[in-house]
Amino acid sequence: MFSRRTKTGAAVAAAASIALIATGCAGASDSGGGDGDQIELTVTTFGTFGYDDLYKEYEAANPGIKITANNIDTGGNARTDAFTKLAAGSGLSDVVAIEEGWLGSIMEVSDQFTDLTEYGIEDRKSDWVDWKYAQATDPDGRVIGYGTDIGPEGLCYNRTAFEAAGLPADREAVAELLGGADSTWEDFFTVGKQYKDATGKAWYDHSGFVWNAMVNQLPEGYYTSDGELNVDGNADLEERWGWINDAAAEGLSAAQTAWDWNGGKSFVDGTFATFVCPGWMLGVVQGQVEAGGGDVANSGWDFADVFPGGAANWGGAFLSVPTQSKHPKEAAALASWLTEPEQQVKQFEAAGTFPSTVKAEEELASSGEPNAFFNDAPVGAILAKRAEGVVAQYKGPDDSLIQENVFGPVLQKVDRGEVDADAGWAEALSLLGELVKN
Amino acid sequence: MTSTLSPSTETPAPRPPRRVAAPPLTFAQRLSRFDLKASPYFYISPFFLLFAVIGAFPLVYTLVVSLYDWQLLQGQGDFVGFGNFAAVLQDRFFWNSIFNTASIFLLSAIPQILVALLLAGVLDQALRAKTFWRMSILLPYVVAPVAVALIFSSIFNEQAGLANNLLGLVGIDPIEWKHDVLASHVAIATMVNWRWTGYNALILLAAMQAVPRELHESAALDGAGKFRRFTSITIPGIRPTLIFVVITATIGGLQIFAEPRLFDVSNAGGIGGSDRQFQTTVLYLWEMAFFRQDFGEAAAVAWLLFLLIVIVGLLNFAISRRIASVEGRVANRRARRRGHRSADAIAKDDLLLNSTGLGHKGGDK
Repeated sequence: MFSRRTKTGAAVAAAASIALIATGCAGASDSGGGDGDQIELTVTTFGTFGYDDLYKEYEAANPGIKITANNIDTGGNARTDAFTKLAAGSGLSDVVAIEEGWLGSIMEVSDQFTDLTEYGIEDRKSDWVDWKYAQATDPDGRVIGYGTDIGPEGLCYNRTAFEAAGLPADREAVAELLGGADSTWEDFFTVGKQYKDATGKAWYDHSGFVWNAMVNQLPEGYYTSDGELNVDGNADLEERWGWINDAAAEGLSAAQTAWDWNGGKSFVDGTFATFVCPGWMLGVVQGQVEAGGGDVANSGWDFADVFPGGAANWGGAFLSVPTQSKHPKEAAALASWLTEPEQQVKQFEAAGTFPSTVKAEEELASSGEPNAFFNDAPVGAILAKRAEGVVAQYKGPDDSLIQENVFGPVLQKVDRGEVDADAGWAEALSLLGELVKN
Repeated sequence: MTSTLSPSTETPAPRPPRRVAAPPLTFAQRLSRFDLKASPYFYISPFFLLFAVIGAFPLVYTLVVSLYDWQLLQGQGDFVGFGNFAAVLQDRFFWNSIFNTASIFLLSAIPQILVALLLAGVLDQALRAKTFWRMSILLPYVVAPVAVALIFSSIFNEQAGLANNLLGLVGIDPIEWKHDVLASHVAIATMVNWRWTGYNALILLAAMQAVPRELHESAALDGAGKFRRFTSITIPGIRPTLIFVVITATIGGLQIFAEPRLFDVSNAGGIGGSDRQFQTTVLYLWEMAFFRQDFGEAAAVAWLLFLLIVIVGLLNFAISRRIASVEGRVANRRARRRGHRSADAIAKDDLLLNSTGLGHKGGDK
């Protein structure tokens, strides 16, 4: 009796394990399928997207749709997640958020995403600022993403630190001090030097973000508009490389570790006085002050309507529908609704992401609602002004790699005084040759 | 078939008569015989089936990928033979990652196993509240490696970390844990040691308790001190377990990823420090696959790492065998020297000598 039972047991175990193997591969293709008339749509976003209430609203208005949302902590991790699933050929959600920084790589495989012109995105073309719609269009004229937000950059500054240095601290006065509408990087660094002389403290947090802003506001960045690498011999980049190196050499950089900032404490203890802020970064600043144990109600941070070197854009996202999706029609409908002006305003209110549709921007520009954390600055209206004159920049396939792995590490060395401008530029070029194959 | 088997039909084969003598097997008997022979294989088959799917297949598939020009997103390209291997072997960052991995491995594995041996030796003594002590050294193992990395990353923070604050108390200047090569390796090795020392100590302790107490007693009677008994009885006695611990530490140590990955939050590109001070080989593989998006070369790195682990594993196996078998050799030599004595005495003596390897003087019987 005993032996027979164990034999049966073993057979069951073996059968079960084989069944497990067999279903292991099949499982993924079944997910996302609805039962009966109910359709389940999966959505993957990242960072702070502010969509939770909108999902509920959409489900209420569309009884046949059930939304399963997944939010990944950072854009970088969302990139790895999306790339892995694209490479595997399965596992992507019905709606996937794509960040501008790695859109270049996605464009290389744009055929793996649904052409949204099939679902009427052309009728909404005039909703968006021109360049946002153009960015999501591939060379064959297929449009693969509904624009969500954009990242116009303004200047976050620490009022308390400005006052301590004897500089004007009102946001209008700060904008004026830095050159107002015609603010240049020279203005920015000159005032930085005054601040440094008065306080002995650094002016900005680290050179990586400032360099990123400088590159992003050029008509062409690491790539030319027709997709050629554009770093070696690029006079614009080299000129800016000189500026950032001079500033670091004068001690204007606090040489901070990005995304750590000493556990947020550097935002609280006045380690630096200014910080480049695209719309979505405003939430990051508040989060860092909270993490660093600062007083959120009275943090000293403010937001000025000025940016050195003119209008600049950093980041922003798109909602795409991978061809892997079983319900492209319903997914496109959801993505389209989420990016309508009305919803983009709600998204801004929930997460601070600045809208990419003209109507939503106009609404924010006129509302002037104050942001309590930034000393009641009307951040929506300021960002709307900062968005004026932003030009689309072509993002090549290895844009984020060049930013993160080529210039990022060299700029850390620049901040630490380990290399001078010439040696740093040479090292960046050599890294570029080794890491980027084209 | 039949013609080759029986070339001469007139000569009766010697076997059939015997078969006829045995009663023919019933179906049930045949089934039972088949059951007896095949069942063991059937029982262990789930492991091998699973291994084939999740172990062998990826290994072979990785080899296939490594032979092609293979981009992460665009997929398979041209066949390039061993071109990816050649490219990886010429990449200075690959060798940098091998150096970092080896350095962190040595800084972690050696102290870890020595301390684990010592801890196990202490726990093997008569202690009060044995279970309490044993459980407490296992506690770090319960913590997830990612949590360990986050906590230690904060401890080794350069600006206001606990480690630098403590060093400051005794007047030592702050150390650049995330920029200095050796300091960063020490910091990462510390995370590994903190998590794994207790685990290894428990495994070694279990082995130590299986070493017969009589050997210790007789050795003590012969005047061997505690240390001598530890090196000459305990360590040879736990040799197989020690080899196991060394091999698993090798495999784990060379595959280190989470600790260096999380040690530097700023570099999303997985380069492990501004100058790749602590980019280990798996971190390099990760950068290759997901940032440089070269799947072919990443697969080649995976295979090179696999080969490296096999080689280092074999090397460690050989070394740990040698250390322990020195005692065996001594015992054999002594047994040979006493060849003139009665077989009975030698048998008795050898039983003890081979297992203790202790200096049991030839003439004392």
